[in-house]
Amino acid sequence: MTTINDTLDIPREAPKFRSFSKPFWDGTREKKLLLQFDPAVGKFQFYPRATSIYTGRRNLEWREASGCGAVHSFTIARRGRPPFQGKEPFFIAVVTLDEGVNVMGNMVDCSMEDMKIGLRVKPYWHALPDGYHILIFTPER
Amino acid sequence: MALHDAAIVGYAETKIVPKSDRDVWELGAEILENVLDRTGFEKGEIDGLILSSSMTGSGNCFWSQTTADQLALEVDFCQTVDIGGCSPVGALARAAAAIDAGLCTTVLCLYADTQSAETNQRQRHFQGEWTVPVGLMGPPAAFGFITNRYEHQFGLDYAMLGKLAVAQRDHAVLNDNACEKLRKPITIDDYVNSRMIADPVRLLDSVMVCDGASGLLVTSRKNAERKGLTKIVTPVGYGERTTYRASEAIVDVTESGHMVAGQRAFAQAGMKPAEIASFHPYDDFIIAMMIQMEMLGFCGHGQGCDFIRERDFTFRGDLPLNTGGGQISAGQCGLAGGGTNLIEAVRQLFGEGGPRQVANTRNALVTGIGGIPYARNWNSSVVMILTPNG
Repeated sequence: MTTINDTLDIPREAPKFRSFSKPFWDGTREKKLLLQFDPAVGKFQFYPRATSIYTGRRNLEWREASGCGAVHSFTIARRGRPPFQGKEPFFIAVVTLDEGVNVMGNMVDCSMEDMKIGLRVKPYWHALPDGYHILIFTPER
Repeated sequence: MALHDAAIVGYAETKIVPKSDRDVWELGAEILENVLDRTGFEKGEIDGLILSSSMTGSGNCFWSQTTADQLALEVDFCQTVDIGGCSPVGALARAAAAIDAGLCTTVLCLYADTQSAETNQRQRHFQGEWTVPVGLMGPPAAFGFITNRYEHQFGLDYAMLGKLAVAQRDHAVLNDNACEKLRKPITIDDYVNSRMIADPVRLLDSVMVCDGASGLLVTSRKNAERKGLTKIVTPVGYGERTTYRASEAIVDVTESGHMVAGQRAFAQAGMKPAEIASFHPYDDFIIAMMIQMEMLGFCGHGQGCDFIRERDFTFRGDLPLNTGGGQISAGQCGLAGGGTNLIEAVRQLFGEGGPRQVANTRNALVTGIGGIPYARNWNSSVVMILTPNG
């Protein structure tokens, strides 16, 4: 059985955020998942943008989300650029959060056999430099 | 827009090679010379220049005017089209629009990129913030998501994807311009057993980045007639859609903007999918062609494998597919790669397909795919229907 890398030993850089995505990354310092929410339509969006994808207006709020959801799709990366190069294979999952957005993340404590579309997952916050964290997923058990 | 008032009077294409030792402008000069030779036009008659995107040119935000200067083309209309792999087909549509609007009369559409030898891209995009940190390495992973999702929703017979790969490879063997490394026949077993790149995307699903150039000379139909040019190809239907379903948080990645772009192109051409004589879809990954078959209405959504099983995609078959080998088997000339299948369609309609000439040249359908967004399908979709019209 091929073992799959949980990516925790890969040194990653601090986030490169933009003026409008800074609140997301600030939230990760406290392991909080903050998503943009458009109160005019009652919907979340991801990734963070400077405008509502629904209305073109900027009346967006930041709301804390659970980070729980189900695998929408996934791939096994067999090739990567540094610092992932030489650490393959690893999962990249697209997870549909319960809040109704798709978020990409790596997987921790998830075997090739565990992985399937529909798998319930929860957040696993992994430390980045400068106090930030990256959202990784792990199966709900 | 009176699309059909534009006429393609000539085409040209360089050999596709890995790591070209010739400069991108030298490739451009070869295209210019070849279209002048084959059409009898003088350089001074070209009054429009439209370039595709180019990884080599991407470090220069004056790309189209710099290239006009390098080639000494004095023009009244000059632009670069930057919708990724859709750019070459999009450039042809923009040439027709510019000619129809009276902005210029004769346009060189030039698609030149030496990405494997010299890439100058430094993109401002979402990836640095959102996908580089998870190790996502470009299009193969994105197509891994699409393929797994497709299999989950509809089931997937990989041998049918292999059937498309084999047909294209057989065509590349007959195409002297195809990258030599790829001109060896493959079998469906070779396809299925090729190594995984981003599961379930395999090596033989994927394009190999190469260098090369191609181009079209487009003029007004009236000018073509005045000059007595009888061999012309005319765009008769076009559709384009960028950021399909941008206002939705979650989209079905087994759908694409080709659905709406295709409906527009077919309506404008007054045609139906069953009337298409040869099919030249953009092929960065094999499954992209199957999804386009579904979106364009050759078959129903989710029925691509059954459709592929029933049809013959060789140049002698009932739906010839990318008869030059497509980008996957001829090599992908960076962002100029969208020109490869377009030029092949024009070549076929000119009756110049040589050992791979299709019998039915009533029309050809060409498409483009451009850009990979975050957890979606692809950014831009274009569909162009061409007819010969002497």
